[in-house]
This record gives sequence, structure tokens and C-alpha cells, in this order.
Amino acid sequence: MQSPSDRGFSRRSFLKGSAIAGVATTGLTGAVAPPREPQTFGPGAHEVTLLVNGKPRQVTVETRTTLLEALRDGLDLTGCKQVCDRGACGGCTVLLDGQPVNSCLLLALDAVGGAVTTVESLSDGTEPHPLLQSFVHCDALQCGYCTPGMVMSSLACLQQHGKPTRDQMRRDLSGNLCRCATYGRVMEAIERTAQGGGK
Amino acid sequence: MTAPGHRDGVEITVGYRGLGTQPDRLEQRTVAPAAGDAPPWDANTPLRAVGSDHDRVDGLAKASGRAKYTSDVTFPGLLQARILRSPVARGTLTTLELDAARALPGIAAVIALKQPGQRVRFVGDAIAAVAGTDLHRVRDALEAIRADYAAEPHTVDYLQHEDAPALAADGSIADAWPSSASVEQALAAAAQTHEATYRTEVQTHSSLESHGAVAKWNGDDLEVWCSTQATFGVRGELARALRGQRIDVGTLTVHAEFVGGGFGSKFGAGIEGLACCLLAREAKAPVKLMLDRFEEHTTTGNRPAALLQLRAGVDADGKLTAWDVRSFGGCGFNVEKGEGGGNVAVPDYYTKGAKTRRKHLDLATDTDPARPMRAPGYPQGWFGAELFLDELAAKAGIDPLEFRLRNDRDTMRLDQWRFGAERFGWAEARARRNEPGARLVRGVGLASARWGQLGNPGRQPHGIQCRIHQDGSVEVRSGAQDIGTGLKTVMVLITADELAIPPARVTAVTGHTGDPSGPGSGGSTTTPSLAPAVRHAAFLARQELAALLAKDLGADAAQVAFGDGTVTVGGRALSWADACKRIGPNPIDVRGKRFPNYDSEPFSAVVCGCQFAEVEVDTWTGLVRVVRMFGVQDCGLVIAKKLAESQVLGAMLQGISYALHEQRILDRTTGRMLNGDFLRYKILGSEDVPELGCHLMTVHNGHTSTPAAGLGEPPSVAAPAAVANAVFHALGAPVRHLPITPDKVLAALAARRQ
Repeated sequence: MQSPSDRGFSRRSFLKGSAIAGVATTGLTGAVAPPREPQTFGPGAHEVTLLVNGKPRQVTVETRTTLLEALRDGLDLTGCKQVCDRGACGGCTVLLDGQPVNSCLLLALDAVGGAVTTVESLSDGTEPHPLLQSFVHCDALQCGYCTPGMVMSSLACLQQHGKPTRDQMRRDLSGNLCRCATYGRVMEAIERTAQGGGK
Repeated sequence: MTAPGHRDGVEITVGYRGLGTQPDRLEQRTVAPAAGDAPPWDANTPLRAVGSDHDRVDGLAKASGRAKYTSDVTFPGLLQARILRSPVARGTLTTLELDAARALPGIAAVIALKQPGQRVRFVGDAIAAVAGTDLHRVRDALEAIRADYAAEPHTVDYLQHEDAPALAADGSIADAWPSSASVEQALAAAAQTHEATYRTEVQTHSSLESHGAVAKWNGDDLEVWCSTQATFGVRGELARALRGQRIDVGTLTVHAEFVGGGFGSKFGAGIEGLACCLLAREAKAPVKLMLDRFEEHTTTGNRPAALLQLRAGVDADGKLTAWDVRSFGGCGFNVEKGEGGGNVAVPDYYTKGAKTRRKHLDLATDTDPARPMRAPGYPQGWFGAELFLDELAAKAGIDPLEFRLRNDRDTMRLDQWRFGAERFGWAEARARRNEPGARLVRGVGLASARWGQLGNPGRQPHGIQCRIHQDGSVEVRSGAQDIGTGLKTVMVLITADELAIPPARVTAVTGHTGDPSGPGSGGSTTTPSLAPAVRHAAFLARQELAALLAKDLGADAAQVAFGDGTVTVGGRALSWADACKRIGPNPIDVRGKRFPNYDSEPFSAVVCGCQFAEVEVDTWTGLVRVVRMFGVQDCGLVIAKKLAESQVLGAMLQGISYALHEQRILDRTTGRMLNGDFLRYKILGSEDVPELGCHLMTVHNGHTSTPAAGLGEPPSVAAPAAVANAVFHALGAPVRHLPITPDKVLAALAARRQ
């Protein structure tokens, strides 16, 4: 008879209980970090330091803990959402060294040494970031669940292109799903921000 | 005759102002509001906040990531939980051994959701649930549970059901029509007839926040956060279910302040909600249980598949004289309980002069039952019917727009057709011819929409709490939920206009069952049902403030006037802030209610819409791209314009997604969904977005003090059909089976060449 493990190969069963040795940088993202000595982690929990929104934060993780889990469950930064858990929807998008990444596909240990930026950083100050204001002004959201991820991909798009074209926006947002389908207004919000629109 | 308890008739202006070059359709009507209700707002009432481009009031909370959805709620010591699911589609659970799971480190509670001997009805049926310190340990524990099944042969394809009709090689229904003398006669007398079969596939709701809950017991009191479209429905369901488990609950409070999508799938707590409460009780700790994406696709309902066949005839003037429809719904196991949910709706405003017949049959499969999904039954039926009408119009040599103008019986939609066609540039686009042999071909299509929702008071009249505080702030509360459709914003704007203050002074709170009851957000009821209650609450608060000021300042309450952030009391003008200072530490605190709709006929009992689409088809690859789309939609009184437009535009895109991409694929051998994720279950993304526009029209139906109508569902009715008709125009051959994927496009092109 079948059991749940018959569901097939999963990232989790691959990593479960295994010890991984690796260089804790982020080669996949193309980020440049100084080479570090190889370290051995696992099995079991470790306290590590993540640089999140400019501040070092202690968080307890296992080798199998994703960056998304560390941010949400460890640091209560719940702006990034777990939606598909397969890198297919962008709901968990954060920036790692300025590049948008799916935090559900990245192990927390692999983010050690990098700079993580979450959506919460855009409303840390007295005034919300102009991009957030444009999202509200353009009503670029309905249920709002995809929105933090959409905001982070939009921010990366703006940072990369300055004044992105519609085609650049379509491409940069193509990893973010919105079931309420407010894509058009997200692109309007990016345009408005690029044109200097705040409140 | 005025019924007792009603005040005398009030004369109001109902209808709408001209759409483009169409004439105004305004009329006078006498209505009789209930005693104590706010007076009606009509077509001549000057409103400031209502109908404006005001921002979504919780937009910043959502965009900044600070809004806490159910999945974000946490507590010290919070446990995580998951459900063990059946891997067999049909059979009996024979063994369930939980002790090994209980013994694992970090596991706080393990409960059975089925007992050995009980039936298993689909792949994903809930068997047991586990709570532990984190999801990794919980998943380890699920794997330690032993569950055995006596599997039986299953069917997951409704077309293999014994009552399913036989299909010919081209996919059309091959069974003879049952006889109907009147329809047969009308068909025999028709100048032109047509017959064809249409199919749609199962669509999953694909809400981005999955179903789930957080449960926290405080002694016998239970607090539940639930991702739901019906806070009060969840409360009632959980209270009943826990009583069924012989658990006495003191108070039961449900919270749903932010909800990450529902689209019809989230009316109940479900087995996951109940399991969460039971686990929390056993573990004596708060528990969170959110489904994963595969469970979301496979255990929380769907829009069922449809197979429908139409035949019809027109007379020499192109008017429909015969209309015969039979349909089949491909549903889940619950058909045997009479709850298949697969019924297919078709438009009735084209066929009022025709001999008609309508038959439907739901067919059961060993799958997850259907649930309502945004206009249940409508997108399926409208796709078939509107594409069929275009095929019939082509046979009769009539332009699709002209065909609808001849047959549509709704005056409002006739205005919308003409207005929309002008804005879209229908005549010009339709006349354009594709180059012979061109790889990329274009086409345009149109389709109609209809919905009927003017709101209702509910069995126990819905309420709204309104408080005016001495600092001048106003608080409006509803226990109903805002699922992204904008209830909070609607509450703020109506209250602001009734009190003649800026919306910034008003705060709306929704989604806590400790507040006055409201409807579940289904059938596009929330705004039309609650808007008059919000208005009534603000109206009562205003009366109380007027009485207080009149007493304080020695004036007559009738001489208190509110306007532009100022209150005038017997000739003395006070700023709103100064007026409110007189309230004292306890706020003015009133509860408004939803009165029934007026007895008089509304201007229109239905909402109307129509949409136009242009597509480009790559005849080499079969890929369809929607190039542009335009929609016209009525929703009664438009309250929060920007938000209402978002709903219309979103529904149009969701419709494109349904027309071109979405399809649940089940493995017939295992009964398991093969594309139960977002990699292989494709929904529309940013690359697929066409040039998109809509025109939202306010229609004063004169049915309540604050006459909103339902909007969530109607714009999702027309979109798939408009796209399918545009593909038909581009190819010169119809694709009668959604989604219109490249294989079907290429097959249609091949068939045309033969």
C-alpha cells in the first residue's frame, strides 16, 4: 500500500537528516561574496546570523530550513509568503545582495554572509517607500497575498532598469503570480514610481 | 398601499446616465423606505467620497507586508500541523496506526480523521492529522503513520460514467435528442439551424493563500483565525462539529481580517479547520494548519467540467425561434448526495421569443467535490452558448454584434453593446481581413454577461456598528470579511458621505465575529447587502450626535445640519472636531441594520455587461495571444471606483486564463492530479496580459437607501466566451473545447483545410 512517502522525491526527503558541507555563499544568485572556509552543519539545529534589512539577526535553523522559513517562523517577517513552495509563484520573493530570489528555494544557511532585504524594509521609516505608495495609488492589489512578493520584484525591476519598459516589466514580473490578476496595475505602479510619483 | 411600519412614499430618480452617445435612461419612481431607515440616495444625490477614486484603505497594510493573514498569525509555543491524505481514490481504510507517530520527538498531538472501516472517496481524502513543533517534524511523523486501504476500482473521468452520453470522433454528443414536439416544430420552420457540442475542463480556484486555520483554546473558549469568505459560516460549522465530538465550547470567535483569495472555495472551516481545533485541544497549545499547494489543488474544490450541446434555429430576420440545450457536469463523489454543483447556466435574454428546452445531468467521479467558483456554472455555459451563437450568426450571414442587437432583450445591455462596440472599434476590427497564408492571424469576438444580485438583509438582519469618538474619529465595524473586494473601503466611503466628513477620519474593521453579523462573501452579495446597513449605522450615529449637540446648545435637533466637515447647530457653525469634543469619554455607539429591499420593482433586477476581445493566433505553433480587451459592466451604485475597476479587470484576466490555460489533469490509473502545482497548472501571468480597459457604469436601481449591486462575479462570465469567439473569427473555425491550447488550435486549422 502506498504511504505519503510514495508521493515521490522531494527536496525535504533529500535533505532530511543529512549533513551538508558547503561554502555559505550564494553562487546561484550571482552574488559576489568573499570566499569562506568550508563549514560543516547538521544534523540538528544551529544558531546562525543573517543580515536582514541591514541588521544582524540571530536565528535557529536546521540544514533543511529554507530562508523563507527562517524569515517567517524565526524572525516573524511574514511579508514574504509561502504559496507554491516550488519557486513557481514568486510570493516569497526577497532580495539577496540586491537580486530577487525565491526564498522558498534557498536554504537559510546559504543566505549567511549575504544581505537579505525583505518588504518590511520599505516601511521602516516615517514615509512608506514611493513604490508602496504607488501600489496603493494605482490599486495594484486586491486580496494582497501576492503583493509583498510583487513589490520586491517590482523594486528589483526599478533598481535594474531605472525607467523600465513594459516589456522589461512583464519579464521581471513573470515569476510572480497574482490570482486576482492585478498585473496591469502593478505595471502602472512601477511606471508611476519611475516617474517620481509618491503620494 | 403602504404596508404598516413603512413611511410614505418618497419620489426618487432611478436609472443611468448616457453611455457615450446612448440616451439617458432616467425615470421617476416612488419608493417606500422602512420606518427608521436612512432616506434613499438616488441618481441626483451629490456624493463626494462614494464613487470617487479613493485609495483602498488597507492597501498600504497589504503592500507593506504588514497585514497579518491567517497564515501569518503566530503565538509563543505555536505548533504546526498537517494532514495525512489518502493515496487511493476509492475504497475503505483498513488499518490506522498512530502510536509510532506520537512517539516521535517534537510531536504534540496525533488524531484520526477517519476510522478503519470508513470509506475513502478521493485521492486526498483526510485520514489523520499531526501537530508538532515544526513542519519538518510533522512531516516525519506523517510518514510514521501506518494507513492501509482496501482499494476498489475508481473512475475519475466523468465521460466514462454509465450515464455519460456517447461522443462521436469529433467530440460531439452522438446520442439522439429526446423528442420535444414544440422545439422540433420550431427547428423545422427555421430559416437557418445549427447544432454543436462544447466542452470545458476542471479549473481549480488556486487562491494564493491556501485553506487553513490557527486555533487557540483559552480554557473552554476557542479562538480561530481562518482563511475564509464566511466568518460566521465557519463559526457555525465549527460549533456544530465540536458539539458532534462532545466538546463543550464556551465562546467561539472567528477572525479573518485579511484573506488571501477564495473565489468561492472558502465558505467553510473544512476538515482542515476542524482538525486544527481538535489538535490544539489535544496538544493544549495553539496550532496552525495551512494546506500545501498540492492539497489546495486537490482537496478544496474546483469549477467542475462541463459538456453541453446546443441546437437552435433563427427566422429570416435572424431572430432565435428554437433553443435546445442539454448539458452534463463532471463532478466529484458528492453527486449521489444531490450536491454535484455542476449545473451549467446559459443566457436567457436572447431566447425570450424562442421555443426552449433545458436539460442537465451531473455525473459523479471519485474526485474532490466541486465548490462554487466565481459565477458557478456561468463561464462554462456562456462560453458554449456565445460561441454557438457566433457560429449560427455566421451561417445566417449576420455580424455577431448585429445578431445580438436583434436578439438581446435587455435594454441596458443593448446600450452597452453599442457603447462598447464604439469604444472597442468593433466594426473596423471585424472588417479587417487577414493576409491569405499569413502566419499570424487576428480576430475579434464579443460576449455578454448577466448576474442578479441586489443584496438581501439575511435571515437575521445584517448589522453594522458605528462609533463616533470624542477625538472626532469614527469607527465602523462588521464581523463579515473583506476578501480583497474592498468591504473596508466601502464602509469608510459611505460613512464619510453620510457624516459629511473626509474619509480619513473613518476607520473600518472587518472579519471578527464579535462584531455585528454579515453575509458570507459569495454570489457577489457582500457590498449590496452591507452598504445599506453601513449607511443606516452612520445615519443613526449622525442623529445621535445631532440630538446631543441640540441639547447641549439649546437648539432643536431638526436645526442641526451636517456639511463639509462642519456641523451647524441653530445657526452656529462648529468644526467636526469641536462638535465631537462634546461627546465625552464614551463614544456615540450605534448599531445599524440591513432593511429588506424596497417592495417596488427595482430599475433593473439584473446587472448587465459585455466584453470585446482581440486575439492573435500563431498558425504555425497554435499559440493564442489576447491582444486587447474591453469590458462594460454595471454594478448598481459604484462606491469605490478604483477597487471596482480592479475587480472587473481581474475578472477579465481570470477569464482569459480559463479560456487559454487552465485544466486539471488527472491520472486515470491512480486518480491523482498530475499537475497539482503552479509549474504545471498554468495560470495567467504578467507576460500574458493584453491591453486592457473597462467602463464601469453606475445604475440607480432604487432598491435600497444605498443601492449597490453585486460585482465580483458578473465580469467573469463574458471573458472566456469573448476570447473563444475572437479565436473563431481569427481561424475561421471554432475551437469548442476549453482551454484553447495549441493542439486544439492546430486541429481546428487542419479540420478547416479538409
